[in-house]
Amino acid sequence: MTEHRMSTAAPVQPRRKSSFSEWIKTLTFYELLVGMKATLKHLLHYKPITLQYPHEKRTLPDNYRGMLALLRYDDGTEKCVGCDLCEAACPSRVIRVVSAEVPGEPTKRYSKEYYMDMTRCLFCGLCVDACPVDALAMTREFEWSVYDKRQLHLNKQQLLAIGDRSFPIREKRLELQHPNVAFFNVAFKHLPQKES
Amino acid sequence: MEIGLRLAVSLAQIAAVMGVVMLTVMVLTLAERKVLGWMQDRMGPMEVGPYGVLQPIADGLKLFFKEDIIPAGANRFLFTLAPILALVPAMIGFAVIPFGPSHTVELFGMQIKPFVISDINIGILYILAFASIGAYGIILGGWASNSKYSLLGGLRSAAQVISYELNVGLAIVGVLLLSGSLSLVKITEAQAGGFWNWYVLALPFPQIFAFVVYVISSVAETNRVPFDLPEAESELVAGFFTEYSGMRFAFFFIAEYANMILVSCVAAALFLGGWNAPYPGTLLGHLGLESVAWIENVVWFAAKVYFFLFLFFWLRATLPRLRYDQLMRFGWKVMLPIALGNIVLTSIAAYLFPR
Repeated sequence: MTEHRMSTAAPVQPRRKSSFSEWIKTLTFYELLVGMKATLKHLLHYKPITLQYPHEKRTLPDNYRGMLALLRYDDGTEKCVGCDLCEAACPSRVIRVVSAEVPGEPTKRYSKEYYMDMTRCLFCGLCVDACPVDALAMTREFEWSVYDKRQLHLNKQQLLAIGDRSFPIREKRLELQHPNVAFFNVAFKHLPQKES
Repeated sequence: MEIGLRLAVSLAQIAAVMGVVMLTVMVLTLAERKVLGWMQDRMGPMEVGPYGVLQPIADGLKLFFKEDIIPAGANRFLFTLAPILALVPAMIGFAVIPFGPSHTVELFGMQIKPFVISDINIGILYILAFASIGAYGIILGGWASNSKYSLLGGLRSAAQVISYELNVGLAIVGVLLLSGSLSLVKITEAQAGGFWNWYVLALPFPQIFAFVVYVISSVAETNRVPFDLPEAESELVAGFFTEYSGMRFAFFFIAEYANMILVSCVAAALFLGGWNAPYPGTLLGHLGLESVAWIENVVWFAAKVYFFLFLFFWLRATLPRLRYDQLMRFGWKVMLPIALGNIVLTSIAAYLFPR
């Protein structure tokens, strides 16, 4: 025990820097002057990082995740097929889809009603990833502050309107089925029908 | 007739000085936010008018039309009295500040000193006395609000003002020993003829230590950063004026800035030669324009005062707030001994080398 105690010698005190210069620094408020020099330097080399927001806006990055929107094909039909995958993917339960069959086309579905409660949305983009037909997209809109939060409960028409104004160039409609094979497809009168 | 004229002239002088002070307060509210912003890589107010120059007017209008709230359980009389008690002493001190040369002007058959409202022979004592009364406004405002934050702010202010007013008084004593007068006009006149005659540098004993003690203590006395414990916003919401709104709040606000201007004026007059230029005489005087030389003097006075006001902002942008025990220890164990030692040394020097 005693040997152990002897072996742990007292730690060598680090020699203090010249106490005279320390004393002079205290006397002349050296540390204060260093700080004041720093602030004065910022005053003289004035480069504000402020962006005067409503007057000037920053350029948004290409992958900016803003307001959600529903899209249409170039012929104006909705892309959404009412598959509910976005509703399943959403971690915040923002989306509610009421899906229905296209009247007269038992194999085709569409979203009869489509609601988004944007008060809860965290703009993760999982619904956009989940969508199999690219019917959902994130726009670059972010100025969506409102006085009544019920205005953020959006329906299908509003979401389509956002998509219309944000994406003027629409995707061409995919021919998922060749008209000759589309045996039951009666919805598209403008396409050549199978001869009976 | 004679009395009426004299009264009219005095009132005109008072109105002019008050106008200049209130205008300076308006400029300061904007300048503080701008300078702080620039030092912190921000822009400060930019919305009202070009580069935000009309912000003080917008602030004033807002405060004027705000609802005047007296909290439940507040002492209505003291609650009303406190802002007035804070503002009046801050304003009244300007009566003895010499803004320019002390020559007399003949007007309507009366001798008038245009740059000082009243040259009383106890000028500096008068300012110190009214500065002490100003502390009552803060303390009573804190007590009358019936709020714990206000009360704590008021208590802190009481202790702080008592501690640091002592240092202000003792720091000034050195200058008074050298000048042999309490009148700010005479003290300023004694420093004429170049910056080597200013009391901060003057022989036989430069008052440089007293000057430092005075500047630090006056920052503490006006409750400014880093001594803003009475209104420490991170601890006490807003300190003694937490419960005040509208024009009552504006009174405290104006009082704070008027006090800043007042202590800056006193510092300039006592230590930096007041309206004297740092070279003998005035440039305009040397050019033979004696009649307009006062412009140069007034500009020099304003420059010195604005230097101190800039120092207030500069300190605010730089320093964090002191802890309460640090504040007290610094006041009583550092500032007070320096001020006392300065008095002793100055007395010996003034006795050995009488001027």
